[in-house]
Amino acid sequence: MKRNHLPFYLTAGLLFIAPTLLLLVQSFTAPWRFQRGEGLQFQLNSWSLLFSDPNLWSATIWSLVIGAMVLLINLFIGLTSGKALALYSFRGRTIVESLLLAPILIPVLAVAMGLHLFMIRVGLADTWVGVVLIHLVPTVPYSIKIFHHAYSEVGRPLMEQSQMLGASVIKQFLTIEMPLLRTSIRSVTFLTIVISLSQYAITAIIGGGQVITLPMIFFPFLDTANASVMAAFSVWFAILPLVMYIVVEGLLQLLPYSRKPWRIQT
Amino acid sequence: MRLFRNNPWLLLLPALLFLILPSYGLATAILESLRGTDGFTGEHYETLFASDRFTASFLFSIRTAFIATVLSLVAGVLLTRTFSGYLEKNIPRLSVWLPMVFPHLVWGYIIILLFAETGLFSQLLVSLGWIGSTNEFPIWTRDSNGIGIILTYIWKEIPFVILMLFPVYSAIPRSYYDLVETLGGSRWDQFKTVELPRILPVLLEIFLIIFAFTLTAYEVPALLGTTFPEMISVLSYQWFYSGSFEDRPLAFAAMTGTSFLIMLGALAAYLYLNRKRMRAMRGRL
Amino acid sequence: MTIQVERLSKKFRIDQVLNSLSFKLEAGEKMSIVGPSGSGKTTLLRILAGLEIPDQGTILLEEKDVTRLSARQRNIGLVFQQPLLFPHMTVAENIAYGAHMNGKKTESTVKDLLAAINLTEAAAQFPAELSGGQQQRVALARALAIEPEILLLDEPFSSLDPNLRQDMRYWVRDLLDKRGITSIFVTHDREEAMLMGDKIGVFHEGTFQQFATAEEIKLNPRNPFIVEFFDHHMLLNDQQFVHIQDIQFSEPSGPCITYEAELLQTTFRFSERVAHLYVKEFDEKITLPTPDDGLSKHIELYIPKDAVQHFQSDGKCNDEQ
Repeated sequence: MKRNHLPFYLTAGLLFIAPTLLLLVQSFTAPWRFQRGEGLQFQLNSWSLLFSDPNLWSATIWSLVIGAMVLLINLFIGLTSGKALALYSFRGRTIVESLLLAPILIPVLAVAMGLHLFMIRVGLADTWVGVVLIHLVPTVPYSIKIFHHAYSEVGRPLMEQSQMLGASVIKQFLTIEMPLLRTSIRSVTFLTIVISLSQYAITAIIGGGQVITLPMIFFPFLDTANASVMAAFSVWFAILPLVMYIVVEGLLQLLPYSRKPWRIQT
Repeated sequence: MRLFRNNPWLLLLPALLFLILPSYGLATAILESLRGTDGFTGEHYETLFASDRFTASFLFSIRTAFIATVLSLVAGVLLTRTFSGYLEKNIPRLSVWLPMVFPHLVWGYIIILLFAETGLFSQLLVSLGWIGSTNEFPIWTRDSNGIGIILTYIWKEIPFVILMLFPVYSAIPRSYYDLVETLGGSRWDQFKTVELPRILPVLLEIFLIIFAFTLTAYEVPALLGTTFPEMISVLSYQWFYSGSFEDRPLAFAAMTGTSFLIMLGALAAYLYLNRKRMRAMRGRL
Repeated sequence: MTIQVERLSKKFRIDQVLNSLSFKLEAGEKMSIVGPSGSGKTTLLRILAGLEIPDQGTILLEEKDVTRLSARQRNIGLVFQQPLLFPHMTVAENIAYGAHMNGKKTESTVKDLLAAINLTEAAAQFPAELSGGQQQRVALARALAIEPEILLLDEPFSSLDPNLRQDMRYWVRDLLDKRGITSIFVTHDREEAMLMGDKIGVFHEGTFQQFATAEEIKLNPRNPFIVEFFDHHMLLNDQQFVHIQDIQFSEPSGPCITYEAELLQTTFRFSERVAHLYVKEFDEKITLPTPDDGLSKHIELYIPKDAVQHFQSDGKCNDEQ
């Protein structure tokens, strides 16, 4: 059967790839004035301007630190509860499952406002730890969902097989579960970092303007910088998840039985 | 070790501890919205409902979130069912998910870059001679109709919809389509009898997730909204941070009310799905 | 290694899956467990393997009580219905896995086992690249690599096609004999049970209805269930049965019982003509060898009175211990 691939590539190109290209091109050219008949003018000023801003670097580092912590906690909670939900049947399982997914629907703004007083009381307001905690609210339910699904795919029998062959709990986790959950770990990495990087309001409320992450300097930038710098800044936002992804991928390579991933895929 | 292996509750402990955060937060928000000078009171809700600013904001938020959600769902379903074959392959799939790498804020900026009065489309239309000057381009960002907000959300949520729907679609055996066809069904029949029953639960789930999010997220409206009417999140945030402490309970009341509305919707969806499932079960017995 | 099971019981909610089950197996013996599907045979294996804990009873391996030990402390091999190979490991890594986990040297073991399963060339391949039969062979090699003293097999060939299944049975039988491994083979297929076990435990309602050799089961079925389950005999009533070969189509000399039967179809089995009959009296279908191809639709079956046998005991299987 012959298929015309054009519709797909056209749609994907316009809807999903073009916006990225748009940002990239704008970041390397002067602000556009096509209405005056001007063409593209290549420049690197936007990037040097962006990188010369000291706020950008500290915000980037804080974003990475907070993102990494949020990711670690997400992996821990997601792996444990995903395993419990997928591989065990116990009373109250459906209720627990709905409860764990419910935070997706609760406005995180309401939660942050509610937790604000509590954070002040326990001394976590205006600290990065407090921000990490509040970033867990919109991320953890997704991680649980992803790992729940992943553990169901792997299935109990494969784990029992490993148990029968004498693997301890830890060895089983490292040699069977982690390698087979690799794809899900990647998804969780991406999702967690991007969601964490998206939070302005709740970071502002809990961080109290003291914890400066990238979204916190986005609005001030918008008021002062031109389109080229803003485009460069926008691209910078997407680079962080990529960096985190590469780090996680590198760590995953350290696991046993991690070679030749391309052969396993088919 | 045996304990660890056989006790799901031990494995669930971290997640249950996590649940303290949202539940404590929500509970405090509810309490704060009811707190009066002495004891509980409903006065903040009375003030809230009497406020024109709130009413306008509330209706505007519901309308904007609803339009954005429905349109991204429709577009997502159409794209998934048309292109599900491509999504099996790595590169096309990654390309579809590319927008997910960007935070909503950044996607909002892309909309500004494209649709602002001096944005790319306006510039191109001028240079093509279709409009005389950039002033003639319609106001689509920071507009009072929420067009910029809706555009951002639709565009950004389509990949999410595809991500959620794709596994369902790829699990539908081809033979079901053939079956409907041999029984003389049209393409619409194929959609109605083969796809819809399978995707309906997921569609409802996605609808709730996106609606709840677009209704209450702060970042995009802060970037692309206008001062009146403003999205409920922006209004609440302003009340929360306004100098006078009288406004804070209003922020809590607005957010609590919205949360309850969403919970009600979730409950309705759950009951609806459950009733459907019960009927299907009875059919089998 | 001998395995001795005493009064094993297990209940799932209201379902008594195991009901005070006992048996003993000598070192190197091969045993089959056969029974209707869903009768709890798999649960029995899982309890022996240590994946499930019995409510009551003990399991002794060479006099040592292992009932409370977890699966990884038991040195029992288990081959499941599905190969369940680890998809992210090569064939060689799969085989070496168990030994690896126990900190043993693996190179020569893996080499020997690969040779034994005729898959030396596939060592570096991934499971997805193998056929179903090859995968099941690797699964077997993997279970053997930990040098288990007891090997449990849970319908390991049921997902293979019939020709391959036959080959695998003989191959596994040989392998078990060569290595002197005590084995328990679970199946729902009567023929497979006879092929794979020196002794057969007929499992039903949580216990063995009979635990004996195939020969013994044919000669002396213990109770009506055994008679119904195997097709060696026709059951006359709760106490009496008759061997299939004693049923005749023509009236014999001497006293006999007569039953009316309806001929459903004649087919061939092992190049012998067999008649499929419906016996009204018992509302039962039976299959009999017949030399005659001109049987009429309605026939009479004759059973000499002295061919009718009685069950030996009260029908319960308790004298094996």
